[in-house]
Formats: sequence, C-alpha cells, structure tokens
Amino acid sequence: MAQLQITDLHVEFGGLRAVDGLDFEVEKGEILCLLGPNGAGKSTTLDLICGKTQPTGGSIRFEGMEISQMQEFRRARLGIGRKFQVPSVYKELTVSENLSVARSRRPGILHALTRFALSDGRAVAPILERVGLESKADDLAGNLSHGETQWLEIAMLIAQDSRLILMDEPTAGMTIQETARTADIFRALSDSHTLIVVEHDMSFVRTVADRIVVMNRGAMLAEGTIAEIESNDDVKTAYLGH
Amino acid sequence: MTSRLFYDLVALVIFALVIVLGVPAIMGFDGFELNTFARYLALAIVSLALALSWGGAGLLNLGQAATFGMGSYAMAMHLKLKASGDGLPDFMGWNNVPELPLLWVPFQSLAFTLLAGLMIPAFVGGLIAIFMFRARIAGVFVAIITLAFLVAFQLVVIEQQGITGGQNGLTGLAPLSLPGWTVDTYGVGFYYLVAGCLMVAITLGIFITHSKFGLILKAIREDADRTRFFGYNVANYQTVIFCISAALAGWAGMLYTLVLEFASPTYMSVSFSLAIVIWCAVGGRESVLAAAIGAILVNMLEGRLSDVFVEGWNLILGVIFVLVVMFMPRGLHGLIGSGWQIITGKAGKPGMRPVDTGAAALPAKSAQER
Repeated sequence: MAQLQITDLHVEFGGLRAVDGLDFEVEKGEILCLLGPNGAGKSTTLDLICGKTQPTGGSIRFEGMEISQMQEFRRARLGIGRKFQVPSVYKELTVSENLSVARSRRPGILHALTRFALSDGRAVAPILERVGLESKADDLAGNLSHGETQWLEIAMLIAQDSRLILMDEPTAGMTIQETARTADIFRALSDSHTLIVVEHDMSFVRTVADRIVVMNRGAMLAEGTIAEIESNDDVKTAYLGH
Repeated sequence: MTSRLFYDLVALVIFALVIVLGVPAIMGFDGFELNTFARYLALAIVSLALALSWGGAGLLNLGQAATFGMGSYAMAMHLKLKASGDGLPDFMGWNNVPELPLLWVPFQSLAFTLLAGLMIPAFVGGLIAIFMFRARIAGVFVAIITLAFLVAFQLVVIEQQGITGGQNGLTGLAPLSLPGWTVDTYGVGFYYLVAGCLMVAITLGIFITHSKFGLILKAIREDADRTRFFGYNVANYQTVIFCISAALAGWAGMLYTLVLEFASPTYMSVSFSLAIVIWCAVGGRESVLAAAIGAILVNMLEGRLSDVFVEGWNLILGVIFVLVVMFMPRGLHGLIGSGWQIITGKAGKPGMRPVDTGAAALPAKSAQER
C-alpha cells in the first residue's frame, strides 16, 4: 500500500477551484516532484496534506489512516513535516534553540516542563555539522544570511525526522553549489524518508526526482519519470499555451 | 547548565541577599517599615506572573487583577470567618443574609483556603484560556477579552453585596493562624514569609523560562502556526502557562490580603490591572526576576511620590510607561543587556537579544556570499 494516497481531492476558495479532483499516490522512500504552471495548485496540495487548508471534498490517507479532517499538530505527530516557501525559522531564537524546537519526538507538555531548553543539544549537533552551521549554534537565527537560513530550515526538517516531508521550493535563492549540496542531502534523506517537492528548477528536479506529477488547474495532468514527462504533449501544451 | 540559566541564578542569589539581609538591615529590622516593603514583594509576585504569560508566551493578560482578587478574597473569607467566631460575618447581618452562604462554608478550613487561593484562579484562568486558545485567538484580542472579563468580574463582586461585602470589601479580619504560629503582619517573621514566597515564585519562574516548555512558548510567541507543524498542541501550551500565571497571581493576592488586612474590589479594578502591566514593562517582561524588580521599584517610587503628588501620581506613572515603551521596549532588563553588550563588545552573545527592530533591520545577505 502506498504511504500517501490522495483520492478525488477538492478545495474551493470563494468559487475558485484551486484543487479539483486530484488523485495520486506516493510510495515510501520516494522523492516525488510536483510540477505545474503558476496557479496549478501545487502549494495548495501541500497545504491540504499538512493541514494548513481544509479540503472541501475527497480523501487523504497517510499510512492507511484518513487524515483530511485532522488538526495540523496531530498530522505532524503522525510524521508529516512541512517546509514553507517563505523561510520560516524562529528569528528571535538561536540556531540550536530552533533545532530543539524542531526536534519534537515528544511534544507533550509534561515532558517539555521537565527538560532544559537545550537538552537536545547533543542530539542535534551532528545535524548542525551536516549543514555546516556548527559554528553558528549560539547565533540568533535572525542574524543568519539568506543561504544559512535555508540550511537551518533543512536542518530543522532533519531534526523533526518526519517520515513524509513536504518541501515548497527548497532551492529558491540558492547558488548552484548550494543547490547541488541540497540535492545530495535529499538523496541521503530518501533512504528513510519520503519527500514531496514543489520545485521550478528543472536541473534540480532531474537530479533528485524518482517520479514527477504534473498538475494543471487543480488536477493531475501527467505522471511519470522525467523522460516521460519531457516528451508528453499535454504538458507542453499546458506550459506553452494553445 | 547553560550560561543564561547560570546568569539568572546568580542574579537571583544577589537579589535574594538584598531582600533577605540588605532591606531589613536598612530598615533596622523594624516590623512596621518592613510591612510596607512586604507589600511591594507581594506585588512583585503578580508582576512576575504576568511576565510568564506576556513576556514568555506573548499573551497579554489584562485580567491579571481578577485572578489576584480571587486569591485575595479567598484568604479574606477565611480570616473573616475566624474573626466572626461562631456567628455570621457582620456585613451579612447588615444585608439580611440569614445563614452562611454555601460558597463560604469550605473556607472555614485553612487547608482548603490555601488550595482554593491557587486553584480557583488557575481554574478560571484555564477556562477562559481554553475558549480563547482553541479558537486561536491571539494578540490584542487576548488583551480585550481578558479586560472584559475583569470588568464583568469586578461588577459581579460589587453587586453581590451579601456574599462579598460589595464596595466595602472584607474588613475586620483575624490574623492568620498557621499551625504553631499566629502571623503578626507587623513582625519581621511575616516579612520573611512574603520574601520566601517571592523567592520560591521567582525560582519556579526561572525554571519554567529555561525549560523546553519555556522554549516552545517562545517559539509559539514568534510563530504559532509554524510550531503547530512541528506537532506541538499550541492551545494546550498556552492554556497551561495561563493557568500557572493565574495561580501565581492568586498566591500574590492571598499575601496581599495578609499585608493590608482587608480585601477590596479595587484589587480587581482596571487601573490596578494596568499598573501590573506597567511594573512588568518597566522591569522587563522577558525575565521573571526583572519583572519582580520592576514592581518593587515602581511601587517604591509611588510610595515616595504619591505623598507629594496625590492626584498627579497616575499621570507620572503614565508618562513613565510611555517613556519605557518608546525608549526601552524591553525594560530595565533589556537596557542592562544592551549595556553589557557595549561593555564587552560582543554583540549577538546568547541571552543578549537585539532590540525588537534590530533583527529585522539587519540586511539579508545574498546567498552568493556563501
């Protein structure tokens, strides 16, 4: 059984059907890239999976469990993590504090009350090293450069250790070298995690994607490997117009 | 132990020495003088209670005086019953109340009273919190709702004259009888009782601030939505800190009744609630110790100045508040932090946070620099 099954998903915003009868499945350990022209409903689909938006119809099943009406923190506890398009680190907290918040294996209040704020320090140190932020551990996240902020976000996703990670344009604003390094990290992550990535950078998609789903007007237009997608006539029409 | 926790504990020890030895020495261990200072210490507890919810979690509770008043009345009801012996409290007779109201009966017991002074505020605070935070109410709306509750609660207390003593409050109280010790409000022992309570409250506050719970609250303060996506039940976290804050306010209220030897509905007034906000802002809302010191300093100042400017005192307090908000938004605590940064020349050390706009004003370096 697929890890994530999306069936006949619908959402409407004041008459606009942002997602309109979407169906797809994601297998465990897969990197799935979501492509599509602007307004195709890619980000909305991620919002629906993580609970930021409530669907008006259809079903989302994660590891066999229906989650489409579940509160977002419950979905996160089940193992769904999300990286947003706009970098969203806690600017008033230090880098290591950000990671401690992200490391939320036991999100209960009693557990949190009986631990010091940085009790996760040892556990998150290797993650900091992996993204090259170990020298910035005590810096405020608000003082990081744009690139470092992106790395911190990725480090937070690793610390959260979700089984399914949803990424919205993870390489936006990155240099070619940084993008390549991100691709390496994604490849390493996919051993134990499933990733759904919305991305416009086609060279990045070529490097990481196991499978691609192309969306148009809220529904699936095509699905397959990169070669299949690049030769698909419907996709060319959707991108280039009639 | 992190360095920030270490600094806070050192500051607490210094503060404790000043309160336990310094102040009584200056006052010549005189019980009457110390009684005035005990009043400041009781108010310091309610100020630090607000710092936990406002500074720690970004929840500005303008109804703090209501929970303070509940604690205060709980203690006063117990002491009034003790003072009335087997008879009814005197004001009930004037209001034609035939027998002791059911609400009053359990307050015969000291144990119940002490528990109720903490638990009733916590329960009421928790109830309001559940409704607010489940509905994801945040920011200024929290302030408005809690303020509205405070006004309504004070009206009810004044209105129910037969039970609460109405506008007059509860006066003519007996001294508190603990097992083996009858508390003399004008004794040195009483001062140490209040000082001890304050130390316990500050220690509790410091550990909450430095726990992972405190860290998650800071994260919620900055971005509640993001924190939800890490799996934290944001509404529960907010509700718990609201309850803790309300219980501490109730505790302060109980001590306040002991200091002044009466309970009055003015403890639940809007102006008192706003005064708490000012103490907390002057000291620095991000640190419980700073908030406590803020309460002590402002009240000392009030003690000196209100004799001279009887009517004008509130105006002076207002000006202080405006100046603090404009020029030191993080209070004395923030000022000391910035001063320390300048002296050591180490900007961006942990614990020394840039002033509110500082972080946002820093230019976002381009990714190419890496």
